[in-house]
Amino acid sequence: MSSGTDFSRRNRRTATTAFVVVAGMVGLTFAFVPLYTLICQVTGLGGTPQVAERNETDVSTQEITVRFDANVDRSLPWDFAPNEASVTINLGAEYLTSYRSTNLSDEAVTGISTFNVTPLKAAQYFTKIECFCFTEQTLEPGQSVDMPVTFYIDPAILEDELANEVQTITLSYTFYRTLDDIPDEEPEIISEADQVITTAQVGSF
Amino acid sequence: MSTTATHAHDDDHNHAPKGISRWLNSTNHKDIGTMYLVFSVVAALVGGGLSLLIRIELGEPGIQVFDVIGEMMGSEAKQFYNVTVTAHALLMVFFVVMPALIGGFGNWFVPMMIGAPDMAFPRMNNISFWLMPPALILLILSGVMGQGAGTGWTLYPPLSGLAGQPDMSVDFAILSLHLAGASSILGATNFITTILNMRAPGMTMHKAPLFVWATLITAVLLLLAMPVLAGALTMLLTDRNFGTAFFDPRGGGDPLLWQHLFWFFGHPEVYIMILPAFGIVSHIVSTFSRKPVFGYLGMAYAMASIGIVGFVVWAHHMYTVGMGVNYRAYFVAVTMAIAVPTGIKIFSWIATMWGGSISFKTPMMWAIGFIFLFTVGGVTGVVLANAGMDIAMHDTYYVVAHFHYVLSLGAIFAIFAGFYYWFDKMTGKVYPEWAGQLHFWTTFIGVNVLFFPQHFLGLAGMPRRYIDYPDIFAEWNMVSTWGAYLTMTSTVFFLIVTLIVMIAGRKSVANPWGDGATTLEWTVASPAPFHTFEDTPDFTGGNPAAHPAE
Ligand code: HEM
Ligand SMILES: [Cu+2]
Repeated sequence: MSSGTDFSRRNRRTATTAFVVVAGMVGLTFAFVPLYTLICQVTGLGGTPQVAERNETDVSTQEITVRFDANVDRSLPWDFAPNEASVTINLGAEYLTSYRSTNLSDEAVTGISTFNVTPLKAAQYFTKIECFCFTEQTLEPGQSVDMPVTFYIDPAILEDELANEVQTITLSYTFYRTLDDIPDEEPEIISEADQVITTAQVGSF
Repeated sequence: MSTTATHAHDDDHNHAPKGISRWLNSTNHKDIGTMYLVFSVVAALVGGGLSLLIRIELGEPGIQVFDVIGEMMGSEAKQFYNVTVTAHALLMVFFVVMPALIGGFGNWFVPMMIGAPDMAFPRMNNISFWLMPPALILLILSGVMGQGAGTGWTLYPPLSGLAGQPDMSVDFAILSLHLAGASSILGATNFITTILNMRAPGMTMHKAPLFVWATLITAVLLLLAMPVLAGALTMLLTDRNFGTAFFDPRGGGDPLLWQHLFWFFGHPEVYIMILPAFGIVSHIVSTFSRKPVFGYLGMAYAMASIGIVGFVVWAHHMYTVGMGVNYRAYFVAVTMAIAVPTGIKIFSWIATMWGGSISFKTPMMWAIGFIFLFTVGGVTGVVLANAGMDIAMHDTYYVVAHFHYVLSLGAIFAIFAGFYYWFDKMTGKVYPEWAGQLHFWTTFIGVNVLFFPQHFLGLAGMPRRYIDYPDIFAEWNMVSTWGAYLTMTSTVFFLIVTLIVMIAGRKSVANPWGDGATTLEWTVASPAPFHTFEDTPDFTGGNPAAHPAE
């Protein structure tokens, strides 16, 4: 049998290993934050579209419809809408569209948008070259601007047996006021009154 | 063999410190185990009281209880209903089930089962326990300060963020979980060290009792999962207080990141709550069938594989977030795969009973009750594992029924089973059999009346986490509330009988269960002396606690 001091040294070694594991897991948790964004970008997880410098694909004869959707968070005093509801283009063809934003308030306001495409499985073929969503946007009081998006759909989608049945892709944006720009007032409380359920809603489950 | 010598030796050294410092400064694994059990009972009374409020409210359509309570608490009825649901869940998970199974029974019996005199780090053990009362106080503060934390136990942003709940109540909840998490991590380190290094000579891992295996695997899960919760909670705390935006899209964050981190912790957490229960049930089934556990190694490795696979199934809680079909297919497949080792355990328990000379004593009744109820919950789990089904069932009462069958019936039945199994050993008193049986049957009927109708409500589309519902759901909700009343009555009966028995019970013997009880704790007197196994028992020639075959 091991002697007393041997024993406590072994115990201390085991405990140290355990604490190293704990520290490692905390580290991994924080490392996961940038990794998560990266994973979404690379794999199209959650409908994250791809980004490319330029379009190097060949234009196909196959057509696809792209619909444009716009949402505004209530913290942002803007009008925000696509300039065209949808477009039908050839796979591989580059297309330029735009969204129109108007600042309805009497102060300069900075917004930032999140985006995704549905069906989610089409995201890895939806490639943006230029987009207003890559950076923050500031609008002066009352100012209106057209915000461009340039994109193409990779014809490789035809070779993906799970995604080649897709006929229509929806590109969606939600604009928020940036956190830094939000005035320092008491944040609003999400109303509990939204919670009333009706029989009609339940019936649709 | 040294068991008789150990007895004599133990009795000589059975002088426990006196007064309050015996508990405040305790480094004794049995005293700390006792404190954990008492703590768990206290938290269970609060958490159980809250659940009763919920059931009274839901007993009929309309708002009848929380308008009054909400006003008393300076909050609004619907908000305070959510606060109550949140506090109930957090209490039961972190302050009842975990302290009872891990801190309570783990501290009491893991050292004894492996023939060790105490835990590896007795002072750290003391800290682990004493972190819990402040954590509990913080949790209670989170319910009563300001609006109260009405976020659900899952604390999803944006509801848990500044936009959802701006006052400090959520911060209290976060800090409470931080403390409870730190306590768990220290406890887990202690168990791992104790089990790996301090087993009696000759007791290889492949000879260690299954409760020891279960505690070891639970501790490893805690070590891997708790830091992820701690990290995510820290991010939420800085999002709320220091202007970061981990979960806020307005600053470039993503609220879904929280769900991934939370469930990466959350799914292993549900196994943290059930693996020790598996261990306890294995011992009891074997003891009262007077047979060794069927497929011992299979049982041990089934627990290990449940633990490992449990880390890669988390997104089955997130099927509705908008997940690609390939990811859903993956998570369906791995989630269903967990049912295989779980099935191995169920069948091995049945095989242990098969052909055994079974005595249906109180602990055995609770263990069999556990197996039945856990199987029901497992089956609904496999139903929910199907992404297609889950799109319809997610956040309905079907899910509530599922996790109450595995948790509040599964884990809690195992806690009662362990309580009755080890009652003699911990208190030195005999629990009257009729009282245990009556408690079992009333609880068994009560919880089934309480939770089984919730499957129907869920299938009919009743969503969870609302204070009110349309009239079509009234009947089954009323039945469910009756079940809660029966369960509560049964619990009050249990508490009263237990108090009487502890004061005036008959004296018990070292091994009240006979030949089937073959672990080391049954070789020492009841109640277990303050110090046990200061002379290490020897396993090299076989199990010294085993009884010769008749
Ligand atoms: C056969 C094994 C199991 C399977 C396949 C399974 C599957 C699932 C699935 C798919 C959900 C998500 C339902 C939804 O939110 O829509 C779920 C929820 C849940 N399960 Fe299980 N489960 C199993 C065993 C367990 C066990 C053993 C426990 C705990 C002891 C447990 C506790 C829970 C809890 C607490 C939730 C709800 C979490 C929440 O949303 O608040 N499950 N389970
Ligand atoms: Cu899960």
